[in-house]
Amino acid sequence: MAVKMFAAIDVGSYEVGMKIFEFSPRREMKQIDSVCCRLGLGKDTYNTGKISVKKIEELCAILNDFVRIMNGYKVSAYRACATSSVREARNHLLILEQIKRTTGLSLEILDNSEQRFLDYKSIAFGEKNFYKIIQNGTAIVDVGSGSIQISLFDNDKLVTTQNIRMGNLRIREKMADLVRNTLHIEAMAEELINNELASFKKMYLKDRQVKNLIVAGDYILELLKKPMVETGEFRVTYDAIIGKRPEEIARDYGIPSESASLILPSMTIYKRLIEEMGAEQIWMPGLSLSDGIAYDYAQKNKLIRAEHNFEDDIVAAARIVAKRYQSNKSHIRNLESLALSIFDKLKKISGLDARQRLLLQIAVILHGCGKYINLSDGAECSYSIIMATEIIGLSNRERRIIANVVKYNTFEISYEDILEQPGLTEKDFMLIMKLTAILRVANALDRSHKQKFSEVRILVKDGELQIHVDTSEDITLEKGLFPPKADYFEEVFHIRPVIRQKKTL
Amino acid sequence: MEADFTKPEYYRNREDSWISFNERVLGEARDKNTPLFERLKFLSITSSNFDEFFMIRVASLKDMVNVGYTKKDIAGMTATEQLALILKRVQEVVSLQYSTYNRSILPALKQQGLEVVTRHEDMTEAQKKYADRYFEENVYPVLTPMAMDSSRPFPLIRNKTLNIGALILKQGDGKKEATAEFATVQVPSVLPRIIELPCESGRAVILLEEVIERNIGKLFLNYKVLCAHPYRIMRNADLTIDEDEAADLLKEIQKQLKKRQWGEVIRLEVEEGMDKQLLKILKKEFNIRGDDIFRINGPLDLTFLMKMYGLDGFDKLKNKPYTPQPVPALMDQDDIFAAIREHDILLHHPYMTFDPVVNFVKQAARDPEVLAIKQTLYRVSGNSPIIAALAQAAENGKQVSVLVELKARFDEENNIVWAKMLEKAGCHVIYGLVGLKTHSKITLVVRKEEDGIRRYVHLGTGNYNDSTAKLYTDCGLLTCSESIGEDATAVFNMLSGYSEPKHWNKLSLAPIWLRDRFYELIGRETEHALAGGQAHIVAKMNSLCDKEIIAKLYEASAAGVKIDLIIRGICCLKTGIPGVSENITVRSIVGNFLEHARIFYFHNNGQPEVYMGSADWMPRNLDKRVEILFPLENERIREEALHILSIQMEDNVKAHILQPDGSYEKIDKRGKVLLCAQDFFCKEAVERVAVPKDPVHDRVFVPAEPAAEE
Repeated sequence: MAVKMFAAIDVGSYEVGMKIFEFSPRREMKQIDSVCCRLGLGKDTYNTGKISVKKIEELCAILNDFVRIMNGYKVSAYRACATSSVREARNHLLILEQIKRTTGLSLEILDNSEQRFLDYKSIAFGEKNFYKIIQNGTAIVDVGSGSIQISLFDNDKLVTTQNIRMGNLRIREKMADLVRNTLHIEAMAEELINNELASFKKMYLKDRQVKNLIVAGDYILELLKKPMVETGEFRVTYDAIIGKRPEEIARDYGIPSESASLILPSMTIYKRLIEEMGAEQIWMPGLSLSDGIAYDYAQKNKLIRAEHNFEDDIVAAARIVAKRYQSNKSHIRNLESLALSIFDKLKKISGLDARQRLLLQIAVILHGCGKYINLSDGAECSYSIIMATEIIGLSNRERRIIANVVKYNTFEISYEDILEQPGLTEKDFMLIMKLTAILRVANALDRSHKQKFSEVRILVKDGELQIHVDTSEDITLEKGLFPPKADYFEEVFHIRPVIRQKKTL
Repeated sequence: MEADFTKPEYYRNREDSWISFNERVLGEARDKNTPLFERLKFLSITSSNFDEFFMIRVASLKDMVNVGYTKKDIAGMTATEQLALILKRVQEVVSLQYSTYNRSILPALKQQGLEVVTRHEDMTEAQKKYADRYFEENVYPVLTPMAMDSSRPFPLIRNKTLNIGALILKQGDGKKEATAEFATVQVPSVLPRIIELPCESGRAVILLEEVIERNIGKLFLNYKVLCAHPYRIMRNADLTIDEDEAADLLKEIQKQLKKRQWGEVIRLEVEEGMDKQLLKILKKEFNIRGDDIFRINGPLDLTFLMKMYGLDGFDKLKNKPYTPQPVPALMDQDDIFAAIREHDILLHHPYMTFDPVVNFVKQAARDPEVLAIKQTLYRVSGNSPIIAALAQAAENGKQVSVLVELKARFDEENNIVWAKMLEKAGCHVIYGLVGLKTHSKITLVVRKEEDGIRRYVHLGTGNYNDSTAKLYTDCGLLTCSESIGEDATAVFNMLSGYSEPKHWNKLSLAPIWLRDRFYELIGRETEHALAGGQAHIVAKMNSLCDKEIIAKLYEASAAGVKIDLIIRGICCLKTGIPGVSENITVRSIVGNFLEHARIFYFHNNGQPEVYMGSADWMPRNLDKRVEILFPLENERIREEALHILSIQMEDNVKAHILQPDGSYEKIDKRGKVLLCAQDFFCKEAVERVAVPKDPVHDRVFVPAEPAAEE
């Protein structure tokens, strides 16, 4: 393999940056260049709801220069991502169009969970001790300008991630009006955060032991000077800087003063989290979204191997949700194995890929969670729960697909309804049909929730999907309710599922 | 109690110190051990030095006085006080300049068979005839005499031009009471100032203004010329550009360049014995008086001596021209990148040739593996091979980024021309950062090699100018160290307007980090000294006038750090102050080459660190410019740099030692082996490459001989 060059572009709320990476067969992935430019897109979006023409032009000028730099390195691939400032701008489609036209770059808007997943990937790949760290209770905290993302690990799996709408920029702006009236800014910032934190603790932290806190991004590394500190050391630095003005911090620690003014609220957030969680060690890999984009690219193109299985995280997070809504665990297990076996046998016919297999698996895990709210309206409630629950690693679109699959497991599928939902296309509609068909068949096989179909062999033979069951139990119920599901399945895949029972005595 | 090292009495005024430097240059012109024609050169340099000094330093002091700026300088002097001191000192040095010229240089030239005819009246008849013919054929057509009367205002006299002023009287108007009128004519700068005259024995020359004076009557027919005398003015020329206002820096500088002709007159030089009435007119029109007027006993503007140096036939009275030698590390290696991969290379110009630096860019321009070339350019030579190579590289499809510093003083015009040329060739030209001059000298070549990107970096103490590299002593480092490469990339990103990097691996940059870095390095020696350890700093630079740095040096000296400074020019630090600077020595080497390298050595408790860079210890370098300090990490190269410093410390021929009273004294050579550092390095560079490379190819087979008995 020749040396490959990749560019990762991050269009953020107050900075636009690009990193150039080199992948070579003999060396590790290596950052070659990094450029970063201040551009307050977030200010526009958060204040007026859209990004001004002037800022868009500035952005295009910067991106054009990035293209020049990329060409200089003969970059063979790139990925340009924008986050909340563009996502939340009303004119985001026009922005993408303008960028495409003037720079040739395709800018992609990440939703929150995709963005956080990339941040998380940057840590999982970039932090050498990551695998060791997550053996103990660990939380990743990512303080952004508008929100804080907290992700919890349990037994080396990412189990939950929550977004708290209280970022450093938001705190700074709120405090700015009050600064004149009080000298105890620090205490006030704490109060602002405390309320939000209390609910988080009650709902998700419970009595989990969080020994390690991994802090993503920002200039905190420059402040603490080394990639890992004990709580005590953090306290010392915190006390040393909290009384200082941003300009002093900028001077003393050699960081840009715009960032310095954001560091104070960030530090207060970290401090409160450390206290709430009882964390003992604080890790600062000092990585950014661009790193995550690069690792993601490298992983997908098999340029690097991950020690950590990220799909396991998604599955584990889904299981936690199912557990919270007291879904039937053994039913789910059985259904998973049925649905996935059917999926695998159908591969040639369905044209579905591994990622879609994961979506099916998550749909199976979450298909019954709505019953916790309302037994008779389970499907609709499941849909709502899934749409309201952030699962790190799944994009909003993927989550919506899952929610629809779960919903149409029992409802009659509606073309209009699906296409009305934001972000879904006809392609997604087809995917939802296919996954629903599989889920319905699998679900029908365990109608009684008694796992009668535990020894199952599935074969594609003679134009049929043969489901061979080795059971002595009475499967009249399943067989009786099967035909409508089978009809739908045949409609979708043009192959009819049939149940063949082999009685064992 | 902590001592106060910032008292004004511990510091010397920088202009005063600069005048001392020019005195040292004059010293070289006065030194009978210097070959005669080299003395002409030094004398010429003192003259052009003063010109620049007036245009910038004196001009800005005048500005301060004009606007009533009362802040005191490093030595506690107001601008008015400084001006009084400076003018008095310059008057002294100028009279020394001319007594050297008249009493020492002219007789010596005559002795060597070159007569300079100082008054046109002294020419022989044959010479007069020749001169008059020369005037009619060559000079007269280009002269533009101008008169002043009630209908014609006083004409614009251009900055730094040589002029002849005259009083003329209309003839044939005997009845009325005739008043003398003022007239002036510029001595054309397009004609050579020196005119060689026919001569029976030996050679003779005369200056152009004498020939014009002799024939001045021909310019004002119908007038009687009462008197005619040369004069010359200097205008305030320091560019003041408001960068925030100037949307387009390029245009703004072009505009300012035009304005330079019109600045306030700050110096008037006139021939000694100029007619009183004539002088009065000049004084009134130029609005000038007192010590700003220099009455010169000899020809105005001695820079013509540089032209005299160029007269052929006097080679034996000049230094033998030195040919810069090949760099040993590059002699067996055509591929400069391969050589750098082998190990870092230290360049020491002009002893070693500047070619590797040019080749570095040239080879990069041709090399198919090279992706990008980035370079900062401050002053480049007229027909720079580097510019040509950069343009070539852009045409070859490389990404070429060039930072062109438009604000390089007196080179602005030049810089604009080739900046445009580079842009045309497809280079990405950046014009530096608002408010900061980019003074750092760095070149980065990015190459895509088999195992990935590799960056080659050249860092220097001198400009990328192949002409001055033959005259200035400078150092350079060629390296492909990864950490320096990363820093170099970050430097160019920063210069292109991107955010500063989160941290630097090896380089220290002004204006943000460099000052603190020097404080740290000096402070560390102080700590070692206080802890009872050995502590030593050797620093070589062009000028030292930063108050805080000097205070840190005093503090270090007081703590027992031994400090040896090699400072060619301005030094505001005073040596020998009890309890403050007893451990500090300052020496200045003024020689044939202009000492220009900046090298810093810190003993660091036995783990010596050596740095080189583009910055002097001056506020403007540390606060107003982009400068780079780079460490020498390779031990062999560090040794080489230390060797340079130690030879300079041993110089007893061209070195002057700063005395506690502020004067500079040459070293008493009695009983000592003479060592001239510049000559030593010249010889050493020749010896280093003289070793026969490949004895097999030698035509002569030399029989082995037993070692000779001593």
